[in-house]
Amino acid sequence: MTIDTEPLKSVSDIERTTLMTFLPGRIATMLGGRRWRRLAPVAVLVVLCILITIANPNFIELRNLVRLANSAAVPLTLAMGLTFIILMGSIDLSVEGTLSVAAMVVVLLAANDSNGNDYGWWAVLAAIASGTIMGLISGLVQTMLRIPSFMATLGMWFVGLGLSVYMLGGSAIRLNEASIRDLALHRFLGLPLAVWVAVGAFVLAAIIQYHTRLGRHILAIGGDEDVTKLSGVNVTRVRIAAFALAGFFFGIAGVLAAAQLGQSHAVIGDGRLFAAVTAVVVGGTALTGGEGGVVNTLIGVLIVTVLANGMILLGISPYIQQTVQGLMIIAAVALSLDRVRLKIVK
Amino acid sequence: MNEVFSIRRIFEGKWTQGAIPLVLLVALLLIIEIAAPGFLTGETLALLFANTAVLFILATGVTFAILLGGIDLSIQAVASLASVMLAQLLPALGFAAFPVAILSGLAFGLLSGIVHVKLRVPSFVATLATGGVVTGLALWVSNGRAITIEEAGREKTAWINATIFGLPMVVLISALIGIVSFLALRYTRFGRQATAVGAGEPAAWAAGINVDRTKIIAFAASGMLAAVAGVVLAARLSSGSPVLANQLLLPAIAAVIVGGTAITGGLGGVARTAVGALIISIVRIGMTFVGVNIFLENMVFGAVLIAAVAITIDRSKIAVIK
Repeated sequence: MTIDTEPLKSVSDIERTTLMTFLPGRIATMLGGRRWRRLAPVAVLVVLCILITIANPNFIELRNLVRLANSAAVPLTLAMGLTFIILMGSIDLSVEGTLSVAAMVVVLLAANDSNGNDYGWWAVLAAIASGTIMGLISGLVQTMLRIPSFMATLGMWFVGLGLSVYMLGGSAIRLNEASIRDLALHRFLGLPLAVWVAVGAFVLAAIIQYHTRLGRHILAIGGDEDVTKLSGVNVTRVRIAAFALAGFFFGIAGVLAAAQLGQSHAVIGDGRLFAAVTAVVVGGTALTGGEGGVVNTLIGVLIVTVLANGMILLGISPYIQQTVQGLMIIAAVALSLDRVRLKIVK
Repeated sequence: MNEVFSIRRIFEGKWTQGAIPLVLLVALLLIIEIAAPGFLTGETLALLFANTAVLFILATGVTFAILLGGIDLSIQAVASLASVMLAQLLPALGFAAFPVAILSGLAFGLLSGIVHVKLRVPSFVATLATGGVVTGLALWVSNGRAITIEEAGREKTAWINATIFGLPMVVLISALIGIVSFLALRYTRFGRQATAVGAGEPAAWAAGINVDRTKIIAFAASGMLAAVAGVVLAARLSSGSPVLANQLLLPAIAAVIVGGTAITGGLGGVARTAVGALIISIVRIGMTFVGVNIFLENMVFGAVLIAAVAITIDRSKIAVIK
């Protein structure tokens, strides 16, 4: 899917109108403005790939590319959900909590080494449903109690984490259901099924964003919530639906993570929030909302994954990855924020 | 939505005046005293205070950020890094390891503040990012392992675990930090300006307050106190680890909010945080006492956080709740 496909054009129209009213960031303007900002993530990705290949030609070996795709599967699925939330100008910090709940549900309901359950693929459905419910609760808490999303989802993060650790009894439980493990082990056209699931999640997210009313409404809320409300959109319902949708993607990611690890444990979600936020932000989706989208996020996920992979190939300590990701968030946000829109930054 | 509104109105008058947290604290103490007579004796209370000390120091730091209407999500990472630095540097530097570890917190607090203010990045993202930077550094420095403070180092951390006049040293440290922070917020120019910025940033700016500087100082204070908490924690556990304080982020923020400091800023302070930290500590003890599974602790605190935010938040200050 390229940036120039037909359905994307109408969206860029919406973006252009918001941009006419609000000047882009100073630095971005200096370097060519809008066009530069749209292409920057792709340029970063290409340059990164070239540099890593020069430093270590093993990077473009097929085996490494498959490994790359495999490690991108969970972050991509997570970031798809998070993109919708950030497009609204909100944030979902409950990524790790929701993911661990879904992973816990799938492991405990499918064949495992802790209890006698053996519900097969019903466990997967239940896991995705539990993720969706977690998202739904986040959305209800945020809109009904009227508290900012970062606080609502900070609470839900630990609610989810506490719940999953409690249900797992604080230990790691193995997933023995062969058909679910096949998501990670079985290959189709050379790639593990998990990668195809992630690609499916991407296509689904793209369809939702560009071809459904919900997607348009989410983008509109991010552009200007008051105007959207005055246009007759039920903002509350759209917000709740968006959080539930994000939870749905986190649920899928939880299943993939459990399948890849072959087990579920307390720290299955560790670091996932960070990687997902980095991917969305680096891809060019603005934290202020209304700008960017799932295609941007795909690029962002690839940047984050390629960088992580490249650092390992170059023999850089994997521990320093979070440091690099943190610096990337700062740089990307600083470059992309429309400061004129933000008189007060809290 | 209207129902919640009216519940909020009932709470609004009292809670925001700081009475409810205090009443809650006293009620909790009485409940425990009735359930287990002998709880309200000097010794157990000293133990309670000692167990609350690290949480209180962390929460005091984050109070500065929250009072300004911001948030600091990097405190657990900064505290963990400080613990790693202390454990790593004690053999080589001796007592100089303490200031170095604490200054590292100050430096990263400054970084958070500068990124937040100068690059105009919302504080939760700025501190999430610096938190990641710090965690990465802590993992890298420690090679991803916990570092035990050996016998020679333990001699230098012994003073933190000592008892003076029947009071554990950690209690005195946290009391000192609490009093200094309280005075700084109430009686210094910085404190007044911080409260003003939190209460209404445009008005504070129009009144000639250097908003940027106030914010940077607040985040630097938050980082430094987080590092102090990390140092105390490392001394108590005789070990430093890159994930040492990870479980403390949520209780620390919950302590601030439950104490009655509103996340919208401008309302609250260190005294409230002290009450909040004690409430969190007692609830934790109470949960073990009642037999609530320890793994459910996070779940309870998450729910408590959401409830406390919903009650204390000043919605008139936020045009659009995002």
